[in-house]
Amino acid sequence: MPGETAASRNLASCHLCCKLAPTDQHHCPRCGAAMHSRKSDSIQRTLALLITACVLYIPANLYPIMFTDQLGSSEASTILGGVVLLIKLGSIPVALVIFIFSVMVPLGKLMAMFYLVWTVEKHSPLGPRQRTVMYHVTEFVGKWSMVDVFVVAILAALVHLGGLLVIRPGIAALSFAGVVIVTMIAAESFDSRLIWDQMEDTDSDNTTS
Amino acid sequence: MTTQQAEISQGRKLSGIWIIPILAILLGGYMVVHTWMTEGPEVEIAFKTAEGLSAGKTKVKYRNVDMGLVEEVRLNENLEGVIATVKLDRQALPLLREDTRFWVVTARVGLGQISGLGTLLSGAYIELSPGTDQKKGRRDFVALEKPPLTPADAPGLRLHLSSDRATSVSAGDSVLFNGYKVGRVESREFDPKERKIRYIVFIDAPYHELVNTGVRFWDVSGVRLSLSAEGFNVETGALDTVLAGGVAFGVPPDVKPGEPVESGAKFRLYESHDQILENPFNYGTHYVLLFEQSIKGVLPGAPVEFRGIPLGHVVRVMVKESVSSNIGLEREGKGDPIPVLVYLEPGRMAMPDTQDSVDFLRRAVAEGIDNGMRASLESGNLLTGAKYVSIDYFQGADEAGIGTFLDYSTIPTMESGLGQLQYQLSALLDKFNGLPLEDTISGANKAISSLNANLTSLQSILDAQSTQQLPADLAATLDEIRLAVSGLAPNSELGQSLSSSLLRLNRTLGNLESLTRSLAAQPNAVIMPSATASDPIPEVTP
Repeated sequence: MPGETAASRNLASCHLCCKLAPTDQHHCPRCGAAMHSRKSDSIQRTLALLITACVLYIPANLYPIMFTDQLGSSEASTILGGVVLLIKLGSIPVALVIFIFSVMVPLGKLMAMFYLVWTVEKHSPLGPRQRTVMYHVTEFVGKWSMVDVFVVAILAALVHLGGLLVIRPGIAALSFAGVVIVTMIAAESFDSRLIWDQMEDTDSDNTTS
Repeated sequence: MTTQQAEISQGRKLSGIWIIPILAILLGGYMVVHTWMTEGPEVEIAFKTAEGLSAGKTKVKYRNVDMGLVEEVRLNENLEGVIATVKLDRQALPLLREDTRFWVVTARVGLGQISGLGTLLSGAYIELSPGTDQKKGRRDFVALEKPPLTPADAPGLRLHLSSDRATSVSAGDSVLFNGYKVGRVESREFDPKERKIRYIVFIDAPYHELVNTGVRFWDVSGVRLSLSAEGFNVETGALDTVLAGGVAFGVPPDVKPGEPVESGAKFRLYESHDQILENPFNYGTHYVLLFEQSIKGVLPGAPVEFRGIPLGHVVRVMVKESVSSNIGLEREGKGDPIPVLVYLEPGRMAMPDTQDSVDFLRRAVAEGIDNGMRASLESGNLLTGAKYVSIDYFQGADEAGIGTFLDYSTIPTMESGLGQLQYQLSALLDKFNGLPLEDTISGANKAISSLNANLTSLQSILDAQSTQQLPADLAATLDEIRLAVSGLAPNSELGQSLSSSLLRLNRTLGNLESLTRSLAAQPNAVIMPSATASDPIPEVTP
């Protein structure tokens, strides 16, 4: 039997200073910020940002992330193409790192977030605790996806040897950065308390009925 | 206490955050549409090998601007070639014409030039060269094996040369005019059907105006050495033609420059400049001469002369055609005449080197035959037995007209020269044959037999007794003669008197001599005594 929550006592936490205040108060009595019981439009925001990330994810994988201009001949490489090239060259650990952080993590994050949004108001085979763990892992690991973008950014800034060798970022670098940023914001805008609210509701439903 | 309850609306309102995904979708949609709109054509190019081609890497360039990328390289259905699928940009669409050409550009090192060095590092690429054809929309092409030496739209003149023998001229070699490079040989190939080597040469503008129907092309490759009575003669062209070969052209000295030519005109490639001086003419016509005599000594190239002026040459003796065609030329008891193919060039007779002159020559020959023009074999060299064909007017020639043999016109022939001599000799022998030798011999036989009879009768006379006695009688007679003569001997009486008579006569003759002398000194000496000179008296001088 879970313990009592702030919401069940008609209390809400201030978003800025975390002071508990009764929900009928519209402004935080301590810092004066607007008071909400839950993050406003959390599901909508998360969903919208997730869809944006999905849209951005398509060019991020189809278009070249990096152009290598070597003595007049330009060579484009995509993320997956780079992974395949690294495997062919035998650098399997590096290929694994790039594959995990640039392909699996963003994709897994998107799927996990969609799952969380989808199940926030429904029954789920996974309990709220597992979903909360999922949310935390997603939030934690999300920022590491930027590795690829950073590599491209650093290479583009460093390797500028005139006509000999120039590395230019491709359109995929921008959209991939977009995917990572948008999913991070989406994870941020998701209110994990909603996972538990559903259980509270069912509990209260059960108690009332 | 009245507390104001906040109204809680249960209807969900749309958050402003939805602008972001909509924006992203719009942007993505725009990109998709843009890509779709700018998507260029996909063409398939057939190559012999995939050397230098790699899918996703090899580019297609036009004037060094990227036009597309090779997407796939695969074998064709027969496994005998390679088909590269190339995705081209939309801007390449107007370049895909019916005669657009593709070829692989790699580094090439030739004698004259080094090209495509950039591809050593960047890898090979496919060059596109749009054609001039206005018909567009072709999607499958066959790549050239070698880069064309001249862009399709380059101004100039493209000519076809042919030669019977392979020369050292090859694609890429220079075409020279007076030693100056004005073009290049684009391709060389052997035509097995006509057994000729065919060359395509390109003359750059503005030098293409130098080419007219009067020019001749000749091979200037390498070094030409000739040894003659005048000594060594070394001929060389420009240095690159010595090493790589080349083609020169010019108007032979006694040929008039002709009309300007169109692209695609055909010329013959001569082996040397000397050969052009020997055969400077383009236009000529063939005739067949049917000889009813030995053609021994008639070699291909033997001159055909009209009253001593060279008019052409013998091409060959058409024995094969004569036998294989069996075209009813056989004449009673004479056997087949032997056809000899000759080539007459009106240009040799100071006529312009054009087709009109050839027509004129043919008319003149047809007319001349009616007036007794005939061809005959003459001995050019009695030592070697080489012969030439002489065309001349013969008085009293048999009636003959222009005939045909296979596709050629024939000129009637006459036997002459040694042939005629032989003919006369055989006619003489025939006359001998015709003499009534049999009668003569039988007459002679008769005479001999009567002579024989006479001889036998003579023999009987000789064998007679009286004849046998004749020598003895003769000896007796001779004895008598000797006796008679011995009477005249010096010791005999008659001899002595004869001797004294002779002595006396001698003395008389001496007197007569002195008389004659005095008469000669003094004719009147018989009448007048001669004044005898007094004897000289010796005088004493004081």
